Amino acid sequence: MDQLLRVLQAGAGNLAAYLAGHVLLCLLPAFFIAGAMTALIPRSSVTRWLGRDAPARVSYPAAALAGSLIAVCSCTIVPLFAGIHRKGAGLGPAICFLFFAPAGNVMALAYTGSILGPGFAVARLILCLCFGVGIGLLMATIFRHDDAPVSAAVNPLASDEARMDAASLGLLLALLALLVAGTLRLWPLTATLFAADLPVPGALAWQTTLLAWVPFDAASGEEGVSVQGSVLIALMVLLGISAWRGLEGIIEGANIWTRVALVLACLTLLFATLRLEPHAAGLRVVFTGRTVAIALAAWAVWRSGRCLSPEQSRSWLWEAWRFMKQIFPLLVAGVFVVGMARTLIRPEWIEAMSGSNTLSANAIAVGFGVFMYFPTLVEVPVARMFLDLGMHPGPLLAYLMADPELSLQSMLMVAAVIGRRKTAAYVGLVAVFSVCAGLLYGAWIDMAL
Amino acid sequence: MRVVKILGPGCANCRKLEAVAREAIAAAGVQAEVLKVKDMAAIMAYELTSTPGLVVDERLVCSGRIPTIAEVRGWLGS
Repeated sequence: MDQLLRVLQAGAGNLAAYLAGHVLLCLLPAFFIAGAMTALIPRSSVTRWLGRDAPARVSYPAAALAGSLIAVCSCTIVPLFAGIHRKGAGLGPAICFLFFAPAGNVMALAYTGSILGPGFAVARLILCLCFGVGIGLLMATIFRHDDAPVSAAVNPLASDEARMDAASLGLLLALLALLVAGTLRLWPLTATLFAADLPVPGALAWQTTLLAWVPFDAASGEEGVSVQGSVLIALMVLLGISAWRGLEGIIEGANIWTRVALVLACLTLLFATLRLEPHAAGLRVVFTGRTVAIALAAWAVWRSGRCLSPEQSRSWLWEAWRFMKQIFPLLVAGVFVVGMARTLIRPEWIEAMSGSNTLSANAIAVGFGVFMYFPTLVEVPVARMFLDLGMHPGPLLAYLMADPELSLQSMLMVAAVIGRRKTAAYVGLVAVFSVCAGLLYGAWIDMAL
Repeated sequence: MRVVKILGPGCANCRKLEAVAREAIAAAGVQAEVLKVKDMAAIMAYELTSTPGLVVDERLVCSGRIPTIAEVRGWLGS
């Protein structure tokens, strides 16, 4: 019984650490960015570069760009993949897109950078680019004798030649500024501006109670729940409720709850930038440079949001809400389970299997990524756990590359588009390239140390 | 009897589209059958860029976004 309680506390502790400031400041803006990209970037403005006559040096980068900006979940990725393939650009750029989209999209990169550090995010981006193009070229060469049936009469991707308007671009830039303001760990964002002492009675007592419920254990990386953390959790519950009421029916129109939800989102972000220190007399509230930056960026988002047409803003909010509904609950559950698993898995096992940058370590990591299915983005907290348990960064990157690419569900859909033989070749190439990526990154890390 | 098809592998957008379509059908008072097409190959046959897709009497009327109930009623009416 005691053991069970300990495991549950570990899960809760891990979850609390995730709901703390820096992850929230990354994820909340990232959902809105993903929503804006899905709703406001017209598919044709990038995919028009993927036509039959486009040279490889245009169609491959365009495919990667499409993957980064347009696609976040597999229900967008696979139909776009099929469309690109049929448009005549061929198997190569389509495969490049397919590879790049799950791991190289802005949301995944921001989240990776937030949880695992900028090193992994940059490595993921660069390697996704190189290997996306590489695997695409290889597949195009291997299967060059199969003529892709090009429907010459119908060219669906050219039918809506929409351009992205200034308002959409402004909103996207403002949202990116919000993301950067929340996640960049540089001065002057980290500077303390001024502190105020609030006479909140019982702040210290509340902190002590929280620590009793979810203990702080530096050795295993459990951060416990701080006073700020508990307020953030409460704010997020409120945000969830008001978002459900205000955003679920947003296509039909906004209501008062929409406004409440958006205001709460801003407040939550601002609150996350503060530092709260409970002491005997009350609560010390510290305003940081990041508080100002978030306030400015949020104002910019608000202003540019007002420039959108009603259809555009409703579409944007719906897509953002859709991603939140789809990803956040699974992320919460995943993080909780990872927290529990972390107490049960012995570091010695991880170190024995993948503690150093060997071929077998990388192969095991890739195998794990292939066979274990994790929902979108959950592979990042799992990777964090492995890193804390002693996995070498090389095999870790191999796992990060392989896991989002090769879910059984999306592979079945891809097989419906290009056939089982080509899909099997793709899976094989992804596995090999992931192992190489891991070996390369691991060697680079070892040299740098 | 009109035939309305919802194209999509089953994610949140496809479910929302189905809900919107059903509401529009009820509001318009027309006789319509709602079918969900989840098979990728069948979806591709309609040549859409991204899911979800709405097909009324074998004509693709909307793809890649959720229409309003009023819009769907318009398509049902024509």
